[in-house]
Amino acid sequence: MSSIKDLYDAILVGDAKKAHSATKAGIDAGLSPMDLIQQSMVPAMDEVGRLFEAEDYFVPELLLAGRAMKSAMELLRPLLIASGQKLGTRVIIGTVKGDLHDIGKNIVASMLEGSGFEVIDLGADVAPEEFVTAVQECEPRVVCMSALLTVTMPAMRTTIEALESAGLRDRVKILVGGAPVTSQYAAEIGADGYSENASGAVTLVKEVSSAA
Amino acid sequence: MNSRERVLAMIDRRAVDRIPFMPITMMFAADQIGVKYGQYVSDYRMLVEAQLRTAERFDIDQVSCISDPTREACDLGAKVRFFDDQPPAFDESEAMLADKTILASLKLPDPLGGGRMHDRVKAAALLKERIGGDKIVEGWIEGPCGQAANLRGINRLMLDFIDDPAFVQDLLDFVVEMELRFARAQAEAGAGLMGVGDPASSLAGPVIFRQMLMPAHKKLVDGLRAMGLRTRSHMCGSTKRILKERGDLGYDIIDLDSMVPLTAARMNMPGEVLLGNVATVEVLRNGSVGDVIDTVSKCGMDAGDLYIVGAGCEVPRDTPEENMLALLEFARSHKPGAVTVVA
Repeated sequence: MSSIKDLYDAILVGDAKKAHSATKAGIDAGLSPMDLIQQSMVPAMDEVGRLFEAEDYFVPELLLAGRAMKSAMELLRPLLIASGQKLGTRVIIGTVKGDLHDIGKNIVASMLEGSGFEVIDLGADVAPEEFVTAVQECEPRVVCMSALLTVTMPAMRTTIEALESAGLRDRVKILVGGAPVTSQYAAEIGADGYSENASGAVTLVKEVSSAA
Repeated sequence: MNSRERVLAMIDRRAVDRIPFMPITMMFAADQIGVKYGQYVSDYRMLVEAQLRTAERFDIDQVSCISDPTREACDLGAKVRFFDDQPPAFDESEAMLADKTILASLKLPDPLGGGRMHDRVKAAALLKERIGGDKIVEGWIEGPCGQAANLRGINRLMLDFIDDPAFVQDLLDFVVEMELRFARAQAEAGAGLMGVGDPASSLAGPVIFRQMLMPAHKKLVDGLRAMGLRTRSHMCGSTKRILKERGDLGYDIIDLDSMVPLTAARMNMPGEVLLGNVATVEVLRNGSVGDVIDTVSKCGMDAGDLYIVGAGCEVPRDTPEENMLALLEFARSHKPGAVTVVA
C-alpha cells in the first residue's frame, strides 16, 4: 500500500521521477492500474485542484503535478489498453481558431486527466473543422473550448455551428471557458456549460458526462 | 488643471480637481477611427490618431503607446503570428527560446533600429508633438515575467522556475536590460509615464514572485525612476497573494485587474495610488450604465483618496460608448475621498 501513498505524495509535490518509481513499485507489487489511478492519481489531482482554487498552489505547481501524473500514466496506459480496460470518459479540448493562448486550456486538460478522463488535446488555434473531424474520429462525450480574447470568442459559436451542420451536435456536450467568456455568452451560443476556473471545469465535465 | 497636471498631482499626492481617468484602450481605440487592429500595431500614425481621438472623445487623461506584447520579441527575431484585426501573438511551439542555450547568443535589439520597437518610439514622439503638455504620454514595455514567457513560452517558463532557476535568472536579467533600453528610447521621444505590463506575474505565485520576479521588477522600476519617468504597473489576473509585494516595488500607479478586491488592495497598499478595476467584459462591455456606475462607485469607495478610474484590463472592443462615458462622468464628478454609492 505504500506505493499508493508514495504516488499520491509524488503527484502532490510534482515529482515526476518519484511518481514514475512509485507507479513501477505498485505494479511490481501487484496493484492494478485502476487501483493506482483511483486511489492515488485522482485524489492527488483533486487535492492539487483544491489547492489551486484556494490560491495555495499556482501554475508552476499545477504543471509540475500534471507532469508527474503523466509520468505515471506512461506506465499505466499500456497496461490498461492491454487488459482491455477503458480509460475514463473521453474529452476533446482545444483553444479556438485565431487564439494562441493555451495555458488555461492546458491546466484544464491536466486536471481532467488527473481526474481520470481520457483527454485528447487538440492544441491552440483549432479551426471548427478540426473540432468536427476530431469528434467524428474520436467520438468524445464532451468537447471543451477555450478563448482568451473577446475577438476570438466568436469562434466558439462558429465551432458549435459547424458541429450542428455536421450532425454531431447532439452526440457531445459542449463546455466553454476563458477569461472573457461568461455564462451569458455560453447560453447565447448554445453551449451546454461554462466554468470560470479549472476546478469548476472538471466538476462540470463530471456532471455533463455522467448525464450524457 | 489639465489632464497631465491631474495625473502628476495624483501621483505626487497633491490636490486634484477630480479623479483621473486612465483606462487602457487598444482595439477599442482602433475602432474609434475605423482601422483594423493589424494596421494599429504596425503603423504608429494609426495608433497615434486612434489614441488622440479616443482620449478626446472620452476625456481620458493619458495617451498611450500600448498595443501588443510582441514588439521587443519581433526585433529579437522571434516568430510572431499577425492577424488582420486582432493583436499579434506568440505560438509557443515556435518560441524563440524553446532551446535555452540560444539565450547566450541573443543580442539586445536597438529600439531605434527601424523595427517594431522603433515604431512605438515614433508613436511616443508623435503623441508628444500632437498633445504637447495637455496629456501625459504613456510609453509601454513588457514586464519581466511576461517578456520571459514571450521568449521562452509560458508553459515552459512556469516549469523553469522550479527546474532551472539559474536559467530564469539569466533570462530575467536579459529582459530587464532590454526593457530599460526600450523605455529610455520612449522617454527620450516624449513619454513621461511608463506602463509596465506583466500579465504572467500573477500565475507564478507569491514564493516565486518574491524570490525571482520582485528583484527583476525592482531593478526595472528603479531604472525607470532614474530616467525621471513616472510608472504604472499593470498585471492581469488575480494578484491577491502578492499585493503587499506589488506595493513595495515602488511603481507610482498600481493598476489592478477586476479579480482583486480593492478593499484588499488598499489594506495591503495603504499609501499607493490604485487604478481600476471595473470588470471589463461582464460590467463594462456587457453591463448597463447603471452597472458601470455601481461598480465604479464601489471601486472609488474601496480605494479611497489615492484612486484613478479605469477598467480591470483593456477596454474590450464593442464596449458601448455610454458605458465609457459613464466611467468618465464618474471621474469628472468626483474628487478623491468624496465618493458615495450612487443609488
